[in-house]
Amino acid sequence: MEALSNLVAGFSVALTPANLFWCFVGVFLGTVVGVLPGLGPPATIAMLLPLALKLNPTTGLIMLAGIYYGAKYGGSTTSILLNLPGESASVVTCLDGYQMARKGRAGPALGIAAIASFVAGTFGVVALMLIAPPVSRFAVRFGPPEYFALMALGLTMVVFLAGKSMIKGLLSAFFGLWLACVGTDLFTAESRFTFGQMELLDGIDFIVASVGIFAIAEVLANLEEQSGFELFKTPKGIRNLLPTWDDLKQCRFAFVNGSVVGFFIGVLPGAGSTIASFISYGIEKAFSRHPEKFGTGIPEGVAAPEGANNSETGGALVPLLTLGIPGSNTTAILLAALILWGFRPGPLLIHENPGLFWGLVASMYVGNILLLLLNLPLVPVFAQILRLPYYTLYPMILGVSIVGVYSVSQSLFDVWMMGLFGLLGYTMKKLDFPAAPLVLAMVLGDPMERALRQSLMMSQGDLAVFFNRPMAAAMLFFALVLLAIPLTQRVRSWRVRAVEQEL
Amino acid sequence: MRRTAWAIALMVLCSYAAPGWAQGFKPARPVEAVVHTDPGGGSDVFARAIADMLEKEKLLPQRMNVLNKPGGSGATAMAYLIEKKGDDHTIGFFTNTWLVVPLTRKEAKVTIHELTPIARLVLEPMIAVVKADAPYKSMTDFVEAAKKNPGKLSQSGGSVTAQEALYRLVIQKATGAQWNFISFPGGGERISNLLGGNVQLLMAQPQEISEHIRSGSVRVIAVLGDKRLAGFPNVSTTKEQGLNIPTLDQARGVLAPPGVSREVVQYWEGVLGKFVKTESWKKYLADNQLEDAFLRSQELAAFWTKQTELLRGLLQEAGVKLVR
Repeated sequence: MEALSNLVAGFSVALTPANLFWCFVGVFLGTVVGVLPGLGPPATIAMLLPLALKLNPTTGLIMLAGIYYGAKYGGSTTSILLNLPGESASVVTCLDGYQMARKGRAGPALGIAAIASFVAGTFGVVALMLIAPPVSRFAVRFGPPEYFALMALGLTMVVFLAGKSMIKGLLSAFFGLWLACVGTDLFTAESRFTFGQMELLDGIDFIVASVGIFAIAEVLANLEEQSGFELFKTPKGIRNLLPTWDDLKQCRFAFVNGSVVGFFIGVLPGAGSTIASFISYGIEKAFSRHPEKFGTGIPEGVAAPEGANNSETGGALVPLLTLGIPGSNTTAILLAALILWGFRPGPLLIHENPGLFWGLVASMYVGNILLLLLNLPLVPVFAQILRLPYYTLYPMILGVSIVGVYSVSQSLFDVWMMGLFGLLGYTMKKLDFPAAPLVLAMVLGDPMERALRQSLMMSQGDLAVFFNRPMAAAMLFFALVLLAIPLTQRVRSWRVRAVEQEL
Repeated sequence: MRRTAWAIALMVLCSYAAPGWAQGFKPARPVEAVVHTDPGGGSDVFARAIADMLEKEKLLPQRMNVLNKPGGSGATAMAYLIEKKGDDHTIGFFTNTWLVVPLTRKEAKVTIHELTPIARLVLEPMIAVVKADAPYKSMTDFVEAAKKNPGKLSQSGGSVTAQEALYRLVIQKATGAQWNFISFPGGGERISNLLGGNVQLLMAQPQEISEHIRSGSVRVIAVLGDKRLAGFPNVSTTKEQGLNIPTLDQARGVLAPPGVSREVVQYWEGVLGKFVKTESWKKYLADNQLEDAFLRSQELAAFWTKQTELLRGLLQEAGVKLVR
């Protein structure tokens, strides 16, 4: 009940006209930033920091947090419409979202993304409000062996992303793991596969690679078709612009899955929303009654990852606000903002500044509603982009990609890398290699290797460290189960075939 | 005697003349401040805090905009500053990694000595902390425990060339104790692994961990080096505890691209010299438990040379391959 009275007090803070206004400014800017690839929430928050520091701290934090979760809403838009991921957390959304758009269902895809974001985003806030302290105790118990197990679990998702040929899927994943090796080895400070290039010392930027592999490759592939073709079926009538009741019913499980997975992965420092979105997509597919339809444009494939990356926001704020521990770039800059305002982020922050915490929580409820109201009416508007003729659309995609990738770290090298990855993606498309396993392996490779080596350093090389710890052992077991699922399906199909032959 | 008198007279003259030259330069457009971390990283936050204070204290006629050039632990930012040769509206914020990276990475094309020193601002001391329920009351307790159980205890930290890694090395060398060093890229993970009991020791800058100290979840067992800290008057230094190790405080300060004129350097020395006397700066230092360590351009150049040699020796002992 204490939470309730605190929340009421929080709403009295969040609903003052000034706070409402800045909350709107935050979520609006967040949406814009999310739509554009490259420029992400950390850079935007950094740019607005001088402004925010002049505001009252609670108001400022409400605005900055608005940018953070607003960007997650916006990130899906270009993924769905142009196969161009606006944020790294929206890469998975390309898989089914863009296919829905190609089928003429861009509107419903955008609508599902907005609704999933709203449901899961709200879930994240509720969880942040109710269970933050116990969950943060869970998060600190998560050591390197548990991270390794989690990443291993994530990597088993490859078998669900592989598509028709498992061999090609695995090759694609191995290539992704190799790409993840590029850069500086944290443990020895030596360079790996940098070819003497200073720009490669920090590895290959994930968003650069995925914009190349998805957006540029898509443009290249479509250019082949000479002229006069209709790329997208143009949606007609307002009814086709929004998700149907059936779509929503189909996504029931995806909403829950995205909310829960996103929140708990968000809580873990260093895991992040990209991993959350992949894992929730994988889980969705593993437990689906029609796994073969994933990747062909089904609403669950959009709802699960979009939900996960929004619920992750609530989760990521848990260690930040309860322990003063930032788990990502964005929360690190929020931490910096708190310090510059004169707060002392740490275990005592909420206790000593209840107004700040509850005002923020309440504003996040409001912000999620604002985002839904802002995004749903925009769906038909955005869907109109697909009416553009290809000779306008393609240069636009290329332009947005180049500007976006350049803005990641103002480096032309990144733009060339994007081009290279575009060619790679195009070649893979031609040879029928799935891109998703590569991207997944690229995200997971680095944290997984790190966690493995950290664990073995802790245990002095003893592999038992993964089995002695219950959480790690449970996740590794679960990963084995997931690996076995496609195998059983194959055995069943052999048996069916064998029975048919006998008949 | 006469020659000394002349020299003194000349020096006095010069010191009067200096402000006259300094007035020769004033930023005519916003100043770009290059940092090597992403938004939210240590250098970024430091630069933004200073930009904010300079604006409040009205010491700079123009805005100071922070430009993030992350990559290669400083290598990218340094290369960018070299490209900006002669640009008097660009400055950079350096840290120790700008000294270390050129030593260890052949991809780094630039050393800090090619850039123009302006001023050192702070030294960041480090403290050693353990979980509140751990049995160690001092660094020597920890060292003794590590001696009894070689390889069983662990410390969390950043990369193997970071200060905490070098501190572990010099303490191990001085005492013969052995414990593991586990690298985590994010500061948050280093703390959460200590709180979660996955590692037993963390060396950090006071402001990173002070709230956990205040809430009682961790305990400080030593200040690394030879000077006690105002924030922890009761915590003894490693020197007091009988560990004979060098002090490796993180230095932060300002530099400029190569080829900027003497007036520009003097202008910045003047602005920063006034800045370090302001109340906002003093409060900032106290809040973050930093040590005021203002040095002007020439002394800074000497500091860089000395520090580089110290680090080179330590890295060699650590078995890190050096390229310069």
